[in-house]
Amino acid sequence: MSLIELKDVSRIYDETVVPIRAVDSVNLIIDKGEFTAIVGPSGSGKTTLLNLIGGLDQPTAGKIIVDGTDISTYKPDVLINFRLHHIGFVFQAYNLIPVFTAKENVEFIMLLQNIPKTEREKKALDFLQAVGLGDRVNATPAELSGGQQQRVAVARALASSPSFVLADEPTANLDSASAESLLDLMENLNQNNNMTFVFSTHDQKVIRRAHRVVTLQDGKVKSDELNPIRIKNEN
Amino acid sequence: MILILAWRNIWRNKKRSLIIIAAIAVGLCCGLFASATMFGMWDSLINTTIDRDLGHFQIHSKSFEDEKLLTDTIPNFQNILTQLHSTNNVIGVSSRVLVEGMISSATSFGGVRIVGINPQDEKNVTTVYKQIIQGSYFGENWRNQIVIGQKLAENLGIKERSKIVLSFQGVDGSIIYGAFRVAGIFKTESSVFDKSNVFVQESDLLRLINSDPISNEIVVRLSSVQQVDSVYIPIKKQYANLSVKNWEELAPELKLFNDMLMTQMNIFVGIILFALLFGITNTMLMSVMERVREFGVLMAVGMKRSRVFIMIILETISLSFLGGIIGISMGLILIEYFKHVGINLSAFTEGLSQWSMGSRLYTSLPLNFYPSLVLMILITAILGAIYPAFKAIRLKPATAIRTY
Ligand SMILES: Nc1ncnc2c1ncn2[C@@H]1O[C@H](COP(=O)(O)OP(=O)(O)OP(=O)(O)O)[C@@H](O)[C@H]1O
Ligand SMILES: [Mg+2]
Repeated sequence: MSLIELKDVSRIYDETVVPIRAVDSVNLIIDKGEFTAIVGPSGSGKTTLLNLIGGLDQPTAGKIIVDGTDISTYKPDVLINFRLHHIGFVFQAYNLIPVFTAKENVEFIMLLQNIPKTEREKKALDFLQAVGLGDRVNATPAELSGGQQQRVAVARALASSPSFVLADEPTANLDSASAESLLDLMENLNQNNNMTFVFSTHDQKVIRRAHRVVTLQDGKVKSDELNPIRIKNEN
Repeated sequence: MILILAWRNIWRNKKRSLIIIAAIAVGLCCGLFASATMFGMWDSLINTTIDRDLGHFQIHSKSFEDEKLLTDTIPNFQNILTQLHSTNNVIGVSSRVLVEGMISSATSFGGVRIVGINPQDEKNVTTVYKQIIQGSYFGENWRNQIVIGQKLAENLGIKERSKIVLSFQGVDGSIIYGAFRVAGIFKTESSVFDKSNVFVQESDLLRLINSDPISNEIVVRLSSVQQVDSVYIPIKKQYANLSVKNWEELAPELKLFNDMLMTQMNIFVGIILFALLFGITNTMLMSVMERVREFGVLMAVGMKRSRVFIMIILETISLSFLGGIIGISMGLILIEYFKHVGINLSAFTEGLSQWSMGSRLYTSLPLNFYPSLVLMILITAILGAIYPAFKAIRLKPATAIRTY
C-alpha cells in the first residue's frame, strides 16, 4: 500500500483578484522508503503541495490519503494531532524554539506526544547523537550554525516516530558544504532506517541527490522521473 | 516543560518584561499604599473617636435617645456597673450625668453639653485627661472644678482658674445656676468636641441639683475593639429595656465615612487594575506578534491550540506574579515603615481637626486585603492574556510559517 496518495488534488487561492491554481489536478503516489524531491521554479507550487501532504492546508478539490487515511476533509484540530503522530517536519529556517536547548527542542515534541520523561530524555540524546550533535545537546539554537540547527530539526522530526519526513527547502539557507552534509544525513537515515523523505528544492546540487524527482510547473506535475545514478548507488 | 518554556519566553525580551513587571509592581505598590493610607485614616478616626468620648459601647435609658434630659436616667445603674466591672475584657466603666446647658464667662456665653463624671472612672475609659494643655484634670483642691476645651476657652475669653457659670434645667424643671472655676483646659483632635463639651465632677453636679446618685450614660471600654461583639451583645440581650449601642451605632457618621473611603479605594484599585489590563494586553500582543512564525512551527509540528493558549496564559501569569510579588513586597515595606513612623500631616492639621484626625497618619492595612488583591491581579492577568492568546491560536500554521 502506498504511503501517500494524491488523487486529482487542486488548491486554488481565490482570495486573490485572479484565482491562483497553486496546485492543479495533481496525481501522485509516494511509497514507503522513497527519497523524493519536489522541484520546480519559484511559484510553481512546491510549498503548497507539501503543505497539502503535511495536513497544513486543505485542498480545494481531490483526495489526499496519508497512511491509509483520507485527511482532505479533516478539521484543523484533528489535523494537528494527525501531524503530531504521523509526520515529521523540517522547514527552511527558524525551526527551533529559541529558548530551548537542542535536547529540549527534540524532547518537546515527545512531550506533546505524552511520552514519559525518562524515555524522552534518552531518545532525545540518541537522535542528537544520530544527527552528529552528541556533543552539542545543551546548546541553544543561537549557539548553533544554520546546518546544525537543521540537523536538530531533523532529529526532532525523527523523534516523533513519523511515517515520513516532509522538508520544505531544508537546504535553502545553508552553504553548499552544510547542504551536502545535511543531505548525507538524510540519505543515511533513508538507507539505514528506511525513513521516507519528501523534500522540495530548486537547487541543482540537491536535486542530483534525490532518488526520484517530481517537477512542478504552474501547479501541474511536469515530469516525474527516477534518478538513475542514485538508484544505482542504492543497489 | 511548558511552564519552563513560558518562563524562558518572558525573558526573551528582558526590557519589555521588566517594564511590565515594574508597571505592575508600581501600580500595586501605589494601590496598596493608598489603601493603607485610607485604612490608616479610618483607623485613627475610629480610635480617636472611641478614645476621646465614645468608648466601645454605651448604655442609656430608651427615653434618653429622644430628649437627652437629665431625668432620662438608667434604673438600677449601680447593679449594671457592678456586673460590668466583673465582666471579662472590660477594662473601664464610667457612669456619666449629662445635661445640656449654657456656659457664661464675664464676656461671652455659649451652649454646651455638661458631662458629670467621676474622674477616676473616666480615666479608665477615655483619654481626655492625657490631652490637658493647661492646668490639671480635676487635680485642684477647690470645689466645683470644671475642665473645658481650648476652643471654648478661647471663645469665652477665659483661661485656667477663670470663673464661669453653668446654667441648666434641673430635675424639677427649674433653672439651676452653678459657679465653677476652670481647673484644666484640654485640646483633642476634634475642635468640634472641644467647643461643645465641658467636664465637671459628678458629685458637684449632684449637689447642685440636689439629687441622689443617678446615671444618664454608662460608657464601657474593652481591652480591644475586636471584643466589642462578644461583650456587648449579651448585655444588649440582658437589658432589653435599655438602649445598648456599640460605637458603630453611636456614630453613624463614621460608618458613612468608612463607606466613602471604601468606595474611593475600590475606584482607585479599579483604575489601577484597568490600566494594568491594557498594559498586559498590549505587552502580550506585541510578544505574540513577534512570534507568529514560531507559533506556526509549533502548531505545524503538532502542538495543540489549547497548549499554545495555556503557554501564553502562563507567560502572562508569570509576569504578573513577579510584578505582584515585587509590588506587594514594596508596598508592605512602605506600609510597615509608615505604620511606625507615620506620615506628617501637620500642614493640613487645621482642616483635618474638623475631621477629628491627628497630625500624624499611620498606615494600616488588614492582612486579608493582600490575598484578594493578588487574586484580582491574577484575574486581570488572565483577562489581559485572553485576547493575545486567541490571536495566537487563530493563526494558520501554513501562513504563519511564511511570515519572517
Ligand atoms: N496564501 C496564499 N495566498 C495567495 N496566493 C498564494 C498563497 N500561497 C501561495 N500562493 C501562490 O501560489 C503559488 C504557488 O506558491 P508556492 O509558495 O507553493 O510556490 P513555491 O514553488 O513554493 O515557490 P518558492 O520556490 O518561491 O517557495 C504562487 O503563485 C503563490 O503566489
Ligand atoms: Mg516554497
